[in-house]
Formats: sequence, structure tokens, C-alpha cells
Amino acid sequence: MAILSTPRSAVQLASKGRPLKEHLFRIALMASLAIALAFLAMLLLYVVEKGWPRLNSMLWENQPSIRRPETSGIQSGILGTLWIIALTAVMALPTGILAAIYLEEYADRTKWYNKLIELNISNLAAVPSIVYGILGLGIIARWLQFGFTVMTGAVTISLLVLPIVIISAREAIRAVPPSIREGSLALGATQWQTIYRQVLPASIPGIATGSILALSRAIGEAAPFLMLGAATLVRFNPEGVWSSFTVLPLQIYSFISRPQEEFSILASAAIVILLAILLLMNSVAIWLRNRYQKRW
Amino acid sequence: MSEIGISVPNVNVRGPEVPRTIEALDPVFTVSNLSVFYGDYEAVRGVDMTIGNREITAMIGPSGCGKSTVLRCFNRMNDLIPGARAVGEILYHDENLYGDHVDPIEVRRRIGMVFQKPNPFPKSIYDNIAYGPRVNGIKGNMDEIVEEALTKAALWDEVKDKIKQNALSLSGGQQQRLCIARAIAVKPDVILMDEPCSALDPIATTKIEDLMQELTRDYTIVIVTHNMQQAARVSDRTAFFTAEVDGAGVRHGRLVEFDETSRIFTNPSDKRTEDYITGRFG
Ligand SMILES: Nc1ncnc2c1ncn2[C@@H]1O[C@H](COP(=O)(O)OP(=O)(O)O)[C@@H](O)[C@H]1O
Ligand SMILES: [Mg+2]
Repeated sequence: MAILSTPRSAVQLASKGRPLKEHLFRIALMASLAIALAFLAMLLLYVVEKGWPRLNSMLWENQPSIRRPETSGIQSGILGTLWIIALTAVMALPTGILAAIYLEEYADRTKWYNKLIELNISNLAAVPSIVYGILGLGIIARWLQFGFTVMTGAVTISLLVLPIVIISAREAIRAVPPSIREGSLALGATQWQTIYRQVLPASIPGIATGSILALSRAIGEAAPFLMLGAATLVRFNPEGVWSSFTVLPLQIYSFISRPQEEFSILASAAIVILLAILLLMNSVAIWLRNRYQKRW
Repeated sequence: MSEIGISVPNVNVRGPEVPRTIEALDPVFTVSNLSVFYGDYEAVRGVDMTIGNREITAMIGPSGCGKSTVLRCFNRMNDLIPGARAVGEILYHDENLYGDHVDPIEVRRRIGMVFQKPNPFPKSIYDNIAYGPRVNGIKGNMDEIVEEALTKAALWDEVKDKIKQNALSLSGGQQQRLCIARAIAVKPDVILMDEPCSALDPIATTKIEDLMQELTRDYTIVIVTHNMQQAARVSDRTAFFTAEVDGAGVRHGRLVEFDETSRIFTNPSDKRTEDYITGRFG
């Protein structure tokens, strides 16, 4: 009762130099962030500035040409990349999400084979992408005789992103509170009804975000395609899953390795397109996350 | 509720090992020698009790004495915990609840449950109520089913204008009544409640207690509560549980005394019950 009238308590509540430390810590945090952002900005500025002369409609209207770099485009690469991403999404997302549902909702964690699967998935996510390229070459392109086609590329990239899709989908599923499952089961819902009508709708935003980020990682990959022995200068668009193709990172790689300055400018312009696709996908992911964010 | 204050000499004739139990005349559940294990750990040992039809049975006792464990046997929610196992017998009317032919899904449809923390689904109020009937394939006019359940749970007047709003926008007390309405919507026989008021303020608690009195006309209710006054206020019979350490130094939940609530609170036959209800529990 007498707290307000006692002058001593006011003295005890006074600060003891904590704000200064807190301030320094904040500055350190912001400096780290600023460094990261500054590098990103520099990189962006550099490629945009360098590629600027070639950032026009010829870029996506024309096919690449070794003889005329000044009018050469990257249409086959853009379409190849889109084909790969679409086919990878069709193959890797359902598989990864179903695997995540199994691991989170059905698997008995005490069984040795489930432990083994879990351990392997985390390990697979850390395997360098070139190793997947070797796998794709040996098994899919040669042994299964798929050759160097969109299908081979997409299967290889699916294997590459699958562990990431599984891990992020599991996290999203795990974030749904157990009380929601209990509430559903206690009403006489079956386990599958509970998953399909409660767990999945609640975790879809998280799953979608993780999936898009996994796919956008795949967009930047060049190593597995190089390993598969891809032609770098493909002058036609893929016409189907059994068509041969190239992807943007490979085209960029082939442009950069040529001596003419025009190719180096063209490469920068292609990098801008690649980054634009990446940023577009990531902003969709961020938008999804904010739009459907759940509070419990 | 039964009247309070029948005077019976406070003598412990049966000894602490044999709990004094009064059988309900028209039992919905008859529990005999029920023990519940989590893996190798026997959490609850040797429970005998009956749950009377259209009665409110309260389960009280200190934390960790196995009240929730026993409650979750009544709708086989313990089946969902890996390694959990019930030994002994629970008859639901005349059927063995743990019999081979019994489908736990069907059990849970008839025996609803309300949890400690209100757990509405992140959907509209309407969809929360309609969920149970939908998954159970109940036919009929869904609007009517929803209105009836909300009316029975004394929530209709408060939410009828915002039935399509997200259930998470309701207050804690309203959310808990929504969960009760959700359970009622599948037309259960029994409603189990595990400390349904422990996250609520006194006014919301009173509303739930009043609601329970209403519901007991149509439903059998089993409630776990930490609050002895609540047990005394709402229940017809009370089961007092405690944890006992056996010869090997392992703690097991035991049913100490099961009787009409009036007797438990005025004239318990076991010293431990008396200590607990008078607040002298160690
Ligand atoms: N899922 C579980 N796994 C293992 N032990 C459990 C589990 N749930 C409860 N127990 C144990 O069983 C005993 C009884 O718990 P509980 O039924 O929750 O008690 P109460 O509801 O009376 O507080 C406690 O010792 C608790 O640690
Ligand atoms: Mg409990």
C-alpha cells in the first residue's frame, strides 16, 4: 500500500547501466544484418549494372547463339528451368509431404527402421548436389536409359530436394498442437480424418513455404546438370518430358567461360532473370506464410 | 444433488487397503480391478468404481495420482499413447470397453471429452460444432444441429450473430463451452471432463458448473477437478485418488475412497480423504 509513498523503492527501480549493454547488443545485431544486406545489394547492383544493356526482350525472345552474342537470348534456358521446376514439384512435393505425414503421424519412433529412416533423411539433406548428379547419370540416364532428358533432370532434382521437403513439411506438421489432434480424435474422427481435415489444413502454409524454398534452391543448381553431361548451348525449347534441355545456371556457366565481353554481359543479364525467378518464388512463400499464419 | 450431512460415526472399519465404495444403482461404467501402465510403469493400480447413469461423478486427488489416466480409459484415449495399456475390466453398460470387437472410434463417438485447456479447432464456430457430426456421417440439417448444440451449451445467445467467425476469437470460457457444445453435437452418452475450469476465471467457471447441472439431465458426466469446492458443488459421487509408494519404492495412483459426495465431504471413512479435503494433505 505504501509503495508509492516510499522514496526508497523509487531508487531501487532505477536503472543499473543495463540500457547501455542492451544498446550495444542491438547495434551489434543490426551491424551483422547490415553487412549481409550490403553484400546482397552490392551483388545485385553489380549484375544489374553489368547486364543492363542486354536486359531487353531479345533476352527471352531469342535462342542462344555462339556467333552473335549481341542478339543471343536465353529462351531455352528459361523454359528448361521452368520445366524442371514444374516436374520436380509434381514428383517431389506429394512424395515428400506423404513421407512427412508418415514420419510424424504414423511412425513408431521406437522402431529401429524408423530411426534409421530419420537419420538418413537428415544425412541426405547434407549430401552435396554433385553426388546426386552422379546418381542421376549412373542410374537414371544410363541404367534406366532415360538419357539426358527433362525427365532425368527432374528425377535427379527431385531426389535432391526430397529430404528438404520432408524436413520442412515435418516441421510444419509438428507445429500443429497435439491438442487439435486429441480434440478431433475425441469426437470419434479416425486418424486419417484427423490428418486430412485438421492437421493438413493447419500445416499447409508451412508446408507450402518450405516446399517453395526447397524448389527455389533447386533452381540455382548447376552441378548435377553438369554431371549429367548436359549440353550447355541448346538452341531449342523442351517440348515434353522426354525432350533434351538446358537450364539457366548451365547457360550462364557456358556464357561466362567464353572470352568475348558480350557473353559476360549476357551472363549478367541471365543472372538477373534467374534472381528474378528466385525472388518471385520466395516472395510467394513469404506472402503465403503471412497470409495464412496460424495463431493457437 | 444428494443432501449433505448424514451423520455416521467416523470409524475406519474397512482399513485403508480396502476402499469404501458405494455402487451406483444404474451404472454406465463398472470398473473392476483396473490398472493402467505406461510402458512398464504402473501409473494406476487396482481401481474399482462405478459411474452412475445421469450422474456427475467427480475425481479428486493430488497431482499425478492418475485421475486423468483413469478418465482417459473411459473413452480409450490412452490407446493413442504408445506403450499405454489398461489391465482389468471396464464395462460400458454390459459391454467390455476393451473387448476385441470394440472399435475405439465408436467408443469415442459415444463418450465425449472436454480437455483442460480449451482446444477449439482453428475454424469458424459453426465448423467447430459441425466437425463431429460430419466426420461421423450424421445426416440431418446441420444448421439445426449446430444451433441445438450451442443452445444446450448455453452459448447460442452469445455467438448467434458471429457463427462464421473464427472460434479462436472467443474468450477462454466461451471456448470451453464451445468445446462442450462440440462434444454434445455428436449426441454422446457420456461426457468426460478433465479439469475443464482450471484455465478459466471464476465467472466462466460458474457458468460451466451451471451448465453441467443442466447437462446432467441428458448426459452422464465424469469430471476430474483440482478444486474440491467444485467437486462438492457439482457432483453426486466423488472418487478420491492418491499416490502410494509400494514396497519397491514406486509410486502408483490408488483409489482411496469412492462415495456419495455428501459423505466424502462430511464424513469420509478414510483418514487420507479427510486430510485431503480439510487441506491437511502432506
Ligand atoms: N503419457 C504418459 N507417459 C508416461 N507416464 C505418464 C503419461 N501420462 C501420465 N503419466 C504418469 O502417470 C501418473 C499419473 O498421471 P495423471 O493421470 O496425469 O495424473 P493426474 O491427472 O492425477 O494429475 C503420473 O506419474 C504421470 O507422470
Ligand atoms: Mg490430470
